[in-house]
Amino acid sequence: MKPEVDPKNLFLEISVLLTGFNNAELYATGMFDTYYHALQANTGQANFAYFFEEVEKILLENRNEPEKINQAITSRLMQPSSYNGLAGSIITMWYTGNWGNDVIDGQAYVQGLVWDAAQTHPPGAKQPGFGSWSMPPL
Amino acid sequence: MESKHYDVVIVGSGISGSVIAKTLTNAGKKVLILEAGLQAGIALEGEAAYNVYQDYIRTFYNAPAKVPNSPYPDLKDAPSIDVLQIQKLQPGQVPPPGYLVQKGPLPFASDCMRGPGGTTMHWLGTTLRMLPNDFRMKSVYDQNVDWPISYEHLKPFYEMAELEIGVSGNVQDQHYPGIGPDFFGEDYVYPMRKIPQSYMDGLISKKTDRLKVTVNDKTYQLSCISTPQGRNSVPNTRYAYSKIIWDKTKKKLRLAKADQYNNIPSLWDNYTGERCEGNASCVPICPVQAKYNALKTLKKANKENLEVSTRSVVSRIIIDKKNKRVEGIEYKRYENPGEPEHTNLTAKGTIYVLAASAIENAKILLASDAANTSDQVGRNLMDHLVMLTWGLSKEKVYPYRGPGSTTNIPTFRDGEFRKEHAAWISPIDNWGWSWPVFSPGSDVSAAIANGLFGKALRDHINEVVTRQVLLHFEVEQSPEPENRVTIDPAYKDALGNYKPVIHYSVSDYMLKSFEAAKIVSDQIFEANDIEDHTVYNPVTDPDYVVYKGQGYTFRGAGHIVGTHRMGFTKDDSVVDKDQRCWDHDNLFLAGCGNMPTLGTSNPTLTMTALAFNVAENILKQL
Ligand SMILES: Cc1cc2nc3c(=O)[nH]c(=O)nc-3n(C[C@H](O)[C@H](O)[C@H](O)COP(=O)(O)OP(=O)(O)OC[C@H]3O[C@@H](n4cnc5c(N)ncnc54)[C@H](O)[C@@H]3O)c2cc1C
Ligand code: SF4
Repeated sequence: MKPEVDPKNLFLEISVLLTGFNNAELYATGMFDTYYHALQANTGQANFAYFFEEVEKILLENRNEPEKINQAITSRLMQPSSYNGLAGSIITMWYTGNWGNDVIDGQAYVQGLVWDAAQTHPPGAKQPGFGSWSMPPL
Repeated sequence: MESKHYDVVIVGSGISGSVIAKTLTNAGKKVLILEAGLQAGIALEGEAAYNVYQDYIRTFYNAPAKVPNSPYPDLKDAPSIDVLQIQKLQPGQVPPPGYLVQKGPLPFASDCMRGPGGTTMHWLGTTLRMLPNDFRMKSVYDQNVDWPISYEHLKPFYEMAELEIGVSGNVQDQHYPGIGPDFFGEDYVYPMRKIPQSYMDGLISKKTDRLKVTVNDKTYQLSCISTPQGRNSVPNTRYAYSKIIWDKTKKKLRLAKADQYNNIPSLWDNYTGERCEGNASCVPICPVQAKYNALKTLKKANKENLEVSTRSVVSRIIIDKKNKRVEGIEYKRYENPGEPEHTNLTAKGTIYVLAASAIENAKILLASDAANTSDQVGRNLMDHLVMLTWGLSKEKVYPYRGPGSTTNIPTFRDGEFRKEHAAWISPIDNWGWSWPVFSPGSDVSAAIANGLFGKALRDHINEVVTRQVLLHFEVEQSPEPENRVTIDPAYKDALGNYKPVIHYSVSDYMLKSFEAAKIVSDQIFEANDIEDHTVYNPVTDPDYVVYKGQGYTFRGAGHIVGTHRMGFTKDDSVVDKDQRCWDHDNLFLAGCGNMPTLGTSNPTLTMTALAFNVAENILKQL
């Protein structure tokens, strides 16, 4: 039940597909390793392995067919019953820096992608400067 | 045990205590502050101030619920009132966790911070003056009570408060109902130019300023104005004062002229916090200290004349049975805030000031059987009842940027309607739906639950979060004797001090305002093409109320007011117009507890003006 590919690479690939942010954007958060560890620490070994096995299959079966990959993600990963909701937890982690209701660490909060998606910044960090709020975001 | 004698002993290092300590020490008086919080938090400069503040910021980043008290230490020996703990006590059951014991029928929903600097560490910083009619509600509208002092009396002290806090604002914008041309002095300007209003304010004002709305068969024309606030912007070169001094011969405090105003930067260096940088986290913490906090005032005290004793939780004042004067203040000094071990100590001075915030002041007085000839101690507890309405704007407004609020609608702050229902102010909120529904985190979880992921999710978040509009309707609560703080030996904290027991409710005069405010909100939303998403939940909202069959939810504003009010005689009030206890001529009370009514402005500017007035009265008496 071990996936062929290093799960770390699979984690990156599936994170891109789940979050809608590309590799460069995800790496730019500086959180990749922290999140990978958080994922390992918070997921049972078996569930972790099954999940990445499935991820690997989905990617292999649908190479270069983004529509099909998305359909497969919807039906095989995004169901709340699939892998204990792990896909959702991964999205939450990238978007908010939380695992469940807990903040993974202070930097995770600061690097939450939800703020980028909403064209703003996390309250209390990455401040955009005096008066910036009186104009539309860049 | 303690033998040293001070001119003045002050309880609390919040804004009221700090303003008095600064003014008195600079006039040469020896002052002791007793402060319940930790020593680290009292650092006023350099590395020590920087380090403790960075700790607060880290704690804030790591907090799952980023509520007002989240950055600051919660001390077992000196617990803070916390918005995460506003459950009502159920008869026959173990009291829920929290410093307050809430007897209801509604839970009191505001908090404050026990620690150096007090609640200004996490306040928002809105600094509006009260209106002249707010001081004479009984005479003009036959409601509530009059104050024993007028707006005119307080006006010079307002100017001191605006200097002390460092207010940014534009006087020209400040048109409020019911004020005359001399509301501000001739040519008066605020120390700093106004904080830029948000992009969203601009869009909403376009369709709301001058909008005609109808409520209870009357038509009102709304206006949208910039909000004065205690955060740094660009100094106004026409502002000509730098400090507040005690004029010994005239026995008065006054503003001292200066060539220019210098904004007050962070405690730790002069190059941080000179201007607001748009961190959008003023509540609970401004990372650069561009926002005012009380430690900035304490830093300006004359250190030679000031001692601060931290970890010192006041439990009782001691009164000479014969002459009714205060003889000392008893406090418990803990070593470790998590352990009950402590030393009992007494502080002595010529004059005493309680500045521990409204609920705590009342509690200490009750525990001491002091100042209560009128039976008003603890009564008339008030807050602004914040009814929120929220919706999605057709046009993207890009919230979650800038200070919490930069524009308000003052139209219902005063008027004939106050004979029928309470007045309110409507700040336009810059932080989306974060307060009522914990956006944008809740938007992410909802989207995931709906199966959204990838680009569709990113787009969805962008579409939804950038359109979130939130309006506040902050309703003035009337003083009512049954809304009160009491004590009960059954409820004590880890040090054996009384916990405040709260009885709280709201009556029709305010409920009518919720109805009227919702009608106004509907018309604002319609004019702005905002789809209403407001939900008041009878099951999950702690302060859900029903009026004429309609449900409304209000939230606490953090404006804890009225528990030891000022009045005309020793039978109707706890303190006189000088804010001295009627019963004890060497005991002054400071803070929002002295305010007989609340008005529609956030109370701290008025309370700071009152604190300068207290300092002046003490200097006259010493
Ligand atoms: C979220 C929030 C936002 C707010 N925003 C605004 C705003 O925008 N505008 C506005 O005008 N107001 C605002 N307020 C209200 C404002 O913060 C308070 O009115 C103000 O800070 C009260 O000052 P204070 O000095 O009277 O009391 P506090 O600031 O509460 O200080 C009390 C001090 O006494 C100490 N103390 C308490 N008990 C004891 C004891 N037993 N022994 C010894 N020391 C003790 C405490 O540690 C503290 O130092 C807000 C409040 C909240 C909660
Ligand atoms: S917007 Fe940011 S920088 Fe400005 S006062 Fe608030 S927290 Fe401080």
